Amino acid sequence: MTLAATLGSDLLRALLQGTPPGTVYALIALGFVLTYKTSGVFNLAFGAQASISAAMYYKAHTDWRWPILPALIVSVFVLAPGVGLLLERLVFRHLRTASSVAKIVVTLGLSIAVPSIFELVFQFQGVAGRTPEGIVPNGAGVYYDPFGVYPFSRNELMTMAVAVTAMLGLAALFKFSALGLQMRAVVESPRMTELNGIRADRVSALSWALSSSFAGMAGVLIAPRFNTLAAPDFFNLVVVAIAAAVLGKLVSLPRALVGGFCLGWIIALLGTFLPRWSRTQTWLRPFQENLTPSVPFLVLFGVLVFWPAIRRAREASDPLSGVDPPPSSVGSGARGASRPRFSRVIGLALLVGIGVIVFIRADTSWIFLVTQAVVMSTIYLSVTVITGLAGQISLCQGTFAAIGGFTVFQLADRHGVSVLLAAVIGAVIAAAVGAVLSLPVLRLGGVWTAVATLAFAYLFDSVLVKISWICGGGTSLLQGTRVPRPVVGPWDFADDRSFLVLTVIVFIVVAFAVTQIRSGTVGRTLSAISGSEVAAESIGISPARARVTAFAVSAFIAGLGGALLSIHQRNVNYGSNFSPFAALFWLVLVVSLGARTVQGAAQAGAAFSLFDTLILRGTFMGWILRSSKRIPEIFPINPKWRFVFFGLGTIQFARHPEGLVEHGKRQMRRRVDALRKRRTGSGGSIDDASPVSTPQPSSEPSNETDTAVVPVGETTR
Amino acid sequence: MTNVLDTQGVSKKFSGIMAVHDLSISVDAGESVGLIGPNGAGKTTFFNCVLGVLRVNAGVVRLAGDDVTEMPVHARARRGIGRTFQRIELFAESTVREHLLIAERTRRRDGGLWKDLIGRGRPRADEIAKCDEVLELLGLRDVADEPIEHLSLGQGRLVEVGRALMTDPKLLLLDEPTSGLDRQETADLAITLRAVQEHRQFAILLVEHDVEFVSSFTQRSYVLDFGQLIASGPTQDVLRDPQVRAAYLGVEEISS
Ligand SMILES: Nc1ncnc2c1ncn2[C@@H]1O[C@H](COP(=O)(O)OP(=O)(O)OP(=O)(O)O)[C@@H](O)[C@H]1O
Ligand SMILES: [Mg+2]
Repeated sequence: MTLAATLGSDLLRALLQGTPPGTVYALIALGFVLTYKTSGVFNLAFGAQASISAAMYYKAHTDWRWPILPALIVSVFVLAPGVGLLLERLVFRHLRTASSVAKIVVTLGLSIAVPSIFELVFQFQGVAGRTPEGIVPNGAGVYYDPFGVYPFSRNELMTMAVAVTAMLGLAALFKFSALGLQMRAVVESPRMTELNGIRADRVSALSWALSSSFAGMAGVLIAPRFNTLAAPDFFNLVVVAIAAAVLGKLVSLPRALVGGFCLGWIIALLGTFLPRWSRTQTWLRPFQENLTPSVPFLVLFGVLVFWPAIRRAREASDPLSGVDPPPSSVGSGARGASRPRFSRVIGLALLVGIGVIVFIRADTSWIFLVTQAVVMSTIYLSVTVITGLAGQISLCQGTFAAIGGFTVFQLADRHGVSVLLAAVIGAVIAAAVGAVLSLPVLRLGGVWTAVATLAFAYLFDSVLVKISWICGGGTSLLQGTRVPRPVVGPWDFADDRSFLVLTVIVFIVVAFAVTQIRSGTVGRTLSAISGSEVAAESIGISPARARVTAFAVSAFIAGLGGALLSIHQRNVNYGSNFSPFAALFWLVLVVSLGARTVQGAAQAGAAFSLFDTLILRGTFMGWILRSSKRIPEIFPINPKWRFVFFGLGTIQFARHPEGLVEHGKRQMRRRVDALRKRRTGSGGSIDDASPVSTPQPSSEPSNETDTAVVPVGETTR
Repeated sequence: MTNVLDTQGVSKKFSGIMAVHDLSISVDAGESVGLIGPNGAGKTTFFNCVLGVLRVNAGVVRLAGDDVTEMPVHARARRGIGRTFQRIELFAESTVREHLLIAERTRRRDGGLWKDLIGRGRPRADEIAKCDEVLELLGLRDVADEPIEHLSLGQGRLVEVGRALMTDPKLLLLDEPTSGLDRQETADLAITLRAVQEHRQFAILLVEHDVEFVSSFTQRSYVLDFGQLIASGPTQDVLRDPQVRAAYLGVEEISS
C-alpha cells in the first residue's frame, strides 16, 4: 500500500521535474525541425546559435549590468534572428543544391566558427564558477509547489511560460499569416515549394530567423543549468534536439514537440528510479551518475539503431529524397590528375630540408610542436579514409583515437605490456569497435551516419569514459592517465628527437598504406560506391561490406594515432585531446584543407599544431623580416581566429570537395596552363611581327608598346 | 528450365499507388524482350524489383530457376543480371576504363584489403586486356582514358553497357537506352548492341519508348499500363493491339 503510494508520488514528481527541461528540449526540437524541413539543412550549428544568445545575454545582463528585458531582447530577438538570417543569406541559400552531407559539413564548420566569432567580437570569455542567471530575478528560489511533491523554482516556471508562449506564437503564425501558411505547406511537403510557386527564399529566410530565435531562447533558458558558458556544452544541445526530433520521427513539428517533452520525462524518470536499481546492479552506476548528459545520446543512438521505422520515415520525409537529382558525391575521384613529377620532387626535397633543419636546430618546444603535427597528420589520415575515400562523415574519430590512447594507458601503465605493442593492440581494438559500430550505423547513410557517430562519441564521452577498466575511473582523476614512452632495444624514445623519428616513420607507413588502399580494390570500390551507389550494387559490389572495411581501417588509423599522441604527451589527456567537440575541429580542418589526399592530412596536421605559433603569433613574419622585433603590431593574433578560418573554410567544401589546398593548386595549374598557352601562342607571332611589339622590361613603358602587345596576342588566338 | 528471368505476381505499392500490380513475365536465355508502356506505367519500378533495389510487396522473382526475392542487389547482380539506368549512373571522376576495371575486379572477387596493402591491388595486365576487349567491341577504345565527364550521352550509355558486360550477365536490363540520343546515335546504339549480343549471348529485357527501336530489336513484348499487364506477345502484334494504342496516346502515327 505505502509502496504503491510512494511509487505514485515518485512518478508524479519525476513527471513534474521533467517538464521544464522538456519544454526547452521541445523548443530546440521545433527550431531544428523547422530549418530541416524548410531548407533541407540538418543544422548541427544549432547549438552554436543557442550558445551565442546565451553568451550575449550573460554579457549584457551580468557584465554590462543591463536590466533583464533589454538584455533578453538583444540576445534573443535581435542577435539570434540576425544570425539566422545571415547564415541563410550568406551561406545556405547558395548551397541549396549541394548534397546533404556537404551541408552537414558546413554546419559543423559553423558550429566551431560562430561561437569563436562571437567571442572575438565581444571579447567574451566564459568564467568558470559564475553560474549564468536566468530571466527572472532570484531564479533559483522555490516558488510554487502544486502537488506537494515537487517544488518548481522561479526559473523553471519562467522557462515553461516562455517556451509555451513561443510555441503558441508559432502556432498562431502558422494559422493566421500568409507566410506562415506557406511555411507550413513547405514543412508538410517540401516539394510544394516548387509546385505552387511559393517564394522559397522568403520562406527559408523566415524559417532560419525563427528557428534561430528558438535556438537563442532555448540557450538563454537552459544556461542556468550549466556552470559555465562553454560552446561544447551547447553543442550537446543539438544532439538533444536531434534526439527529440527523431523521437518524433522528424516528420512534423507537433511530433517534435512531443519528442522534446518525452525526452525531459525520460531523463527525470530515470533520474528517479535508476538509483534504486543501481543499488543492486552496479553496472548501472556510471549511467546513473551521468544521467542527464548521457540520456539523449543513449536515446538517439538506440532509436537510430534499433528502431527501423525511423529509417522508413526518413525515406518518406527527407526533403532531399525523391525528386531531387542525386547529390554529387563527396569522396569520389580520389585519384586526382597526376602531378608533374618535378614539382613532386621539389616538394619532397623541401619537406626533407625542413625536416633536417627542425631535427638539428629546433629547441624542445619546436620539436614538441612538430611531433604533434606529425602525429595529428597520422590521425587525420583516418579522416582521409572515411571521408575522402568512403564519402562518409564520421564524428567519432576522436573516440577511436581515445580508445587507442586508453588502451596504451591500461596495458602499458597498469599491466606492463610493451608500449608499441599496446599501441597496436589499441588500434586493433579501435578497428573492432569501428567495425561493430559501422554495422548498424552505415545502414542509415548520409546525414544519419554523422548523427549516429556523434551520438556514439557523446555516449563514450559521458558514460564509458567514467568506467574504471576503460579509462581508469576515479584514480585517473587524481593521478592522470600516465603513458610511458617506449624503449625498443637500444633506442629509448623518451628522447624527444628519437620519438619524432618514430612518429615520422609511422606516418610514412600509414600514408603509404592509405595510398595503396586508394589505388587498390578497396579504394576503387569505395570510389565507385560514392560515385553511384546503385550502379555499384548493380555490378555486384556490396556497399555495406566496403564501408565496414573503410570504417575499420579508419578506426585503426585513428586508434594508432591516438595511442601515439598519448605516448607523445605521456598522458591520455582525454578532455583536451579527444572529447567529441575537440575532435569536431579535426574533421573541420581536414575537410577544409583537403580530405582526399595524404597531403591534405599532412597540411591539416601542420595547421593544427603550427598555425598558431607560426602564423598567428607572427613568428613566420619575424623570420621573413629577419628580426623578432620588427613583427608588426597586429601580432600576436588571437588563436581563436583559427577556429574562424577553418570553420568558415568548410563552406567551400560544398563546391570544391577536394579542399582548399587542392582547389587552389588546381586553379593555379589552370592559370599557369592558360598563361603558357598564351605565351607559346603569341610567342611565335611576336617573332614574326616587328620586334617593337615585344615589351622590354628595361625600356620605358610607352603607350605604343602597351597597345602593340595586346593586338598581337589577340590576333593569334 | 531455360528461363533466365521469371517473375510471378510481382507487386509494388508506393504509399497508395500500385506502381506494379501482379506482374508475371519470363525471359528465355539469349532472347530479346520488350517491356513497353506509357510514362509512369511502372517499368522502371519493375526493373528495380527484379534487381532488388526495391523490395516487392508480393510475388516471386526467379533467376535461372532460383528464388532471389529476398536477396540484396549485389547478390542478384552476381547471379548474372546487368543493368543500365534511365538517368545515367556513372562513377563521377573516373575514366571509362576504370568503370570496367572495377566491374571486372568485382566479378573476380579476388581483391581485398590485404592484397591492396601488399601492393597487389593495382589493375593487372590480364584485367586491362579483358576490359579493352569490351571497349573495342563497343567502340570506346579511343576514349578509354577519358574521364566520363568528357563523354557524350551516347558514349555514356555505352559505358554503362560495357560496365554491365564485364559482369558476364545472362540478362541485361536496358532502361530507355535511347532517351536523349539523336537518330544517328540511336541507330549506332542498335547496331552495337546487336553485335555485342551476338558475340556474348545474353538475354535482353528492354524498356523503350522509341517504337521503331523496340520493334526492330525485340521478338516479343509485354505492355504495361498503370502497373498492369495489358498485352503480351510478338512485338509486331502487340503494337497493333487497339488497347495498347489507346494506352499509348499519340504513338499511332509513328508505328503506322
Ligand atoms: N520512389 C518512389 N516513391 C513513390 N512513388 C514512386 C517512386 N518511384 C516511382 N513511383 C511512382 O510509381 C509509378 C511508376 O513509376 P516508374 O518510374 O516505374 O514508371 P516508368 O514506367 O518507368 O515511367 P517512365 O516511362 O516515365 O520512365 C509512377 O506513378 C511514379 O510516380
Ligand atoms: Mg522509367
